[in-house]
Amino acid sequence: RYVRQLQRLQLLFSPTAADARGARQFVEEAAPDFARQHPDVVLYVSTRSSGAPLLLAEYLNGTVREELIASKTSEEIVQLATKLAGQSGLDIIRIRKPFHTDNPSVQGQWHPLTNKPSALTVQGPRLQPQ
Amino acid sequence: MVFLSAPRWLRSRLTDRFWRVQEVLKYARHFRGRKNRCYKLAVRSVHRAFVKATKARRQKKRILRALWITRIGAASLEHGLKYSAFISNLMKSQVELNRKVIADLAIYEPKTFKSLAALAHRRRQEGFLAALGDGKEPEGIFSRIVHHY
Repeated sequence: RYVRQLQRLQLLFSPTAADARGARQFVEEAAPDFARQHPDVVLYVSTRSSGAPLLLAEYLNGTVREELIASKTSEEIVQLATKLAGQSGLDIIRIRKPFHTDNPSVQGQWHPLTNKPSALTVQGPRLQPQ
Repeated sequence: MVFLSAPRWLRSRLTDRFWRVQEVLKYARHFRGRKNRCYKLAVRSVHRAFVKATKARRQKKRILRALWITRIGAASLEHGLKYSAFISNLMKSQVELNRKVIADLAIYEPKTFKSLAALAHRRRQEGFLAALGDGKEPEGIFSRIVHHY
């Protein structure tokens, strides 16, 4: 069953600033539809008088991603929110290897003494294996 | 448009020089010496680093294949076979494993690698018998080829 990794989206904007116009339009028009389409994401909307409008995304593994939504239209904010809702909280860096195992070796990893005969199995003229 | 008396007017000033410089220096932070601090030196070093990274993407494939071959050769020598004999006889027995997988088996699964080496050895002996025995004896068991149509 699919578990959405996005826990909550916090929308912080100012009610009067000019660059928060898109955020205000989003809250008026598109926010309820977005919340209905993503029922497992909690959307918090709060106003603050100072600072640029922000969209905070918190994921199940604890990562918090801040996205600036200053001077963005309502549609762009919707697209951004859907993109964040589809992501997991892993860091966006280059993946070194596309595979990972916790148990790489089943038969025991090679060490310099794996293929060498031990004292128990030496077959000389007098020594016999026990 | 040409500002003829630009030094006197100075109407347009460059205000985000800091960020333009940081865009280059952020890729030079882990370098050694003054190249990680001074922009003029960093520009050249960062450019060379990017060019080397681009070219190295093709070389990485060659380097890794050579590494695998070295490892497989060393592991097969432990079992008494040379790399060329091992690989050629494995291919003749229709075991189509690439060098990456065989190298990983040699490191993490030594017993499987030992059995692969034994298979290659047996196929080698059968090859010698077929070449020297002049067709009187039947073909070896491991020399049979399976056709997947």
